[in-house]
Amino acid sequence: MNPVSAETLLSHTWFGLIGLFLVLYVVTDGFDLGVGILSLFRSKEADRNLMIQSIGHVWDANETWLVVLGGALFGAFPAAYAMLLSDLYVPVMVLIASLIMRGAAIEFRHAATGTRPIWDRVFGIGSLLTAVCQGVILGKVITGMLPGGLHAGFVAMTAIGVVSGYALLGATWLVKKTTGQLETAARRYATISVVTTVAAAIVISIGTLMLSPVGAERWAQAGVFHVLAALAIVAALACCYVLYSVHMGGENGPFNASIVLFVASFAGLAVSLFPDIVPGQLSIASAASNSSTLIFMLIGIGTVMPIMIGYNLYQYYLFRGKVVPVHH
Amino acid sequence: MPLDALHLARGQFAMTAIFHILWPILTISLSAFLLVVEILWVRTSEVAWYRHARFWSKLLVLNFAVGVVSGIPMEFQFGTNWGPFSLFTGQFFGNILGFEGAMAFMLEAGFVGIMMLGWDRVPKGVHLFATAMVTLGSSISAFWIMVANSWMQTPSGVAVVDGKVVVTNYAKAIFSPDMVWGASHMWCAALETGLVVVAGLSAYYLLKRRNPEFFVRSFKLALLLLVFIAPVQIWLGDSSGVDVFKTQPAKGAAIEGHWDTNAPGTGASWSLLAWPDKAKQRNDWSIEIPGLLSVLGTHSLHGQVTGLADIPVADQPPMLPLLYYTFRAMAGIGFLFMVLAFWTAFALRKARGRLDALLAQRKLLLAWVLAIPLPYIAVECGWIVREVGRQPWVVYGLLRTEHAASAISSTAITGSMAMFAAFYAVLLSSFFYFARRWLKNGPDLTLRPLAAPPRQSIAHATVEH
Repeated sequence: MNPVSAETLLSHTWFGLIGLFLVLYVVTDGFDLGVGILSLFRSKEADRNLMIQSIGHVWDANETWLVVLGGALFGAFPAAYAMLLSDLYVPVMVLIASLIMRGAAIEFRHAATGTRPIWDRVFGIGSLLTAVCQGVILGKVITGMLPGGLHAGFVAMTAIGVVSGYALLGATWLVKKTTGQLETAARRYATISVVTTVAAAIVISIGTLMLSPVGAERWAQAGVFHVLAALAIVAALACCYVLYSVHMGGENGPFNASIVLFVASFAGLAVSLFPDIVPGQLSIASAASNSSTLIFMLIGIGTVMPIMIGYNLYQYYLFRGKVVPVHH
Repeated sequence: MPLDALHLARGQFAMTAIFHILWPILTISLSAFLLVVEILWVRTSEVAWYRHARFWSKLLVLNFAVGVVSGIPMEFQFGTNWGPFSLFTGQFFGNILGFEGAMAFMLEAGFVGIMMLGWDRVPKGVHLFATAMVTLGSSISAFWIMVANSWMQTPSGVAVVDGKVVVTNYAKAIFSPDMVWGASHMWCAALETGLVVVAGLSAYYLLKRRNPEFFVRSFKLALLLLVFIAPVQIWLGDSSGVDVFKTQPAKGAAIEGHWDTNAPGTGASWSLLAWPDKAKQRNDWSIEIPGLLSVLGTHSLHGQVTGLADIPVADQPPMLPLLYYTFRAMAGIGFLFMVLAFWTAFALRKARGRLDALLAQRKLLLAWVLAIPLPYIAVECGWIVREVGRQPWVVYGLLRTEHAASAISSTAITGSMAMFAAFYAVLLSSFFYFARRWLKNGPDLTLRPLAAPPRQSIAHATVEH
């Protein structure tokens, strides 16, 4: 293999790994942010106790995928890290502030007694704002950070899409983890959010075709359209299965199908962006660190990757099953 | 870029870092302390150690939450506020931050749930393992962060190609000249923090005579560990000082208010107190001890110590009095801990295990209560010495701070700083509010560990109607 293709192979491997971290983050923190968003609709404190208890042991590790993602992006694609974060200063800062609200509130509410309803609202609003900011960042990246009214509309749509998607993950997680009235409500939330998610996804796809540099160039390439069409079919089937399973009383099915929906969507995003990392602005090749850094990082992070996933799964296994009320 | 924006970006970094470091130092040490407590419980089966573990882990939960959320701005502000720095150093610095996230932060986060919520769910061996992993994760995290920061102090193992750092030798870049001293000094500072906090809070209960039999255990255990760590920390501080004079002469001269390089065959004099004045390029006044700086800074009688006068003004650090006095505060607190630890060890020996004899030592106990904020002050001072002392460089000798900041509008930075300042104020006051309640409630002396390891049916929780 000649050195040029080895370099390309390495940077593409890292593009794939960053994508994997992104999916791990979006799916795992997505469901607990979704639980946070849905907590805004529950007025009974007992319900919120159960909802938060269902994510209490994992939210921190889930959020840590974002830190892993940030570090990996910084090391593997310093130019992309610097460009995205500087150019998206305001949404990134609001995102960080929202994550602070969410994380602090979830721990402080346990210690609180009289002020618990206030912390619960902080938790809910922090979760919602986090999702909104991530949607804004996604929209900005897809449109190559171009200004203008139409682009702003597109960004608003991606924000709605991310909020709906997280609500869907959160609702189906609650179907899996709760019982009784709360579970019934979660099934209703899942039905509503799967519909809004699909609607947003359709509008976003049309918008990408018309507004993003991706739509004009990438989607027209041979092969790309077929891959995207296949992913769209997978996503559509997953949506149908969510609806079916929610109404047939499935406990794990809705959540698992929602994960499939997310993985298909983000695979579509990765295929669309490739070979750019910021469409029209920065290519994977020009953003990548040199091969020695990419190899060193691959050895370091690649070896701990299975271990990381292993102990995360152990944690889910340990706290499996439906949550039962505990007395604080 | 405009100077104001640069100052704002530096102000934002300083605020974020000064706030964030308060929390991980306690996480590192309190989790290590809990590990020792849990080992004692597993080995002796004394329920008091179990209750200690449960009691102190409640403080750890509160502290951990603020540490996690305040750490996120740290990781992302390199990109938001310091884009050119990120671009310049990413191939090494970003790589190391990636290692920190994957090897350390995730380890901590992956086991903290079991540590905090898994008491009645897992056998005690598994719980001990989870505590060990949280301890290990927080310490590995400190290690990688210090690798990254030490490399900014004494960059090595890299070449600058096309305006970017390229790693030529990983071993040299990771083990940069400052790394071993910097990492171990910081790790011991973190350990001292937790031990002083445990000793201080235990002394508080002893002073109040609340559950003294219970708290004398944690008091003695913290003391036993401090008697070893406090002198080690002084030795590490001294050694890293010698290293600074060798690798960063401008910083060394600045923290000692030393202007004139000593002539060969003479010793440089050390000022006990002084007021360094950068504008006049001399000390306004000083109280000096002849010859001592050569001994302190080079461990030899006539060792040459470069003075600030021999360093171009453009390469001298700013805010000399700040550097001079934060350094003295840090070193003074380090010595105070050793004195306090030895005094207490002496008093404990005299008490010969009699609790009332220890409780009668009210001044000693009060001294420990008053010492609680000191490790925090020492750590903040140490970081100010480290970071301000490296100026005007962000990567010493390779990249000046003025070339490292992103072009962000002053309004955006001011706005986000005000927002974070408000958030930090809420976090800090909420933490104190809840910690105070935890302190008032005290330990639960009725807690008992589950007699038998949990069966499968307990793990599969069922709902009671």
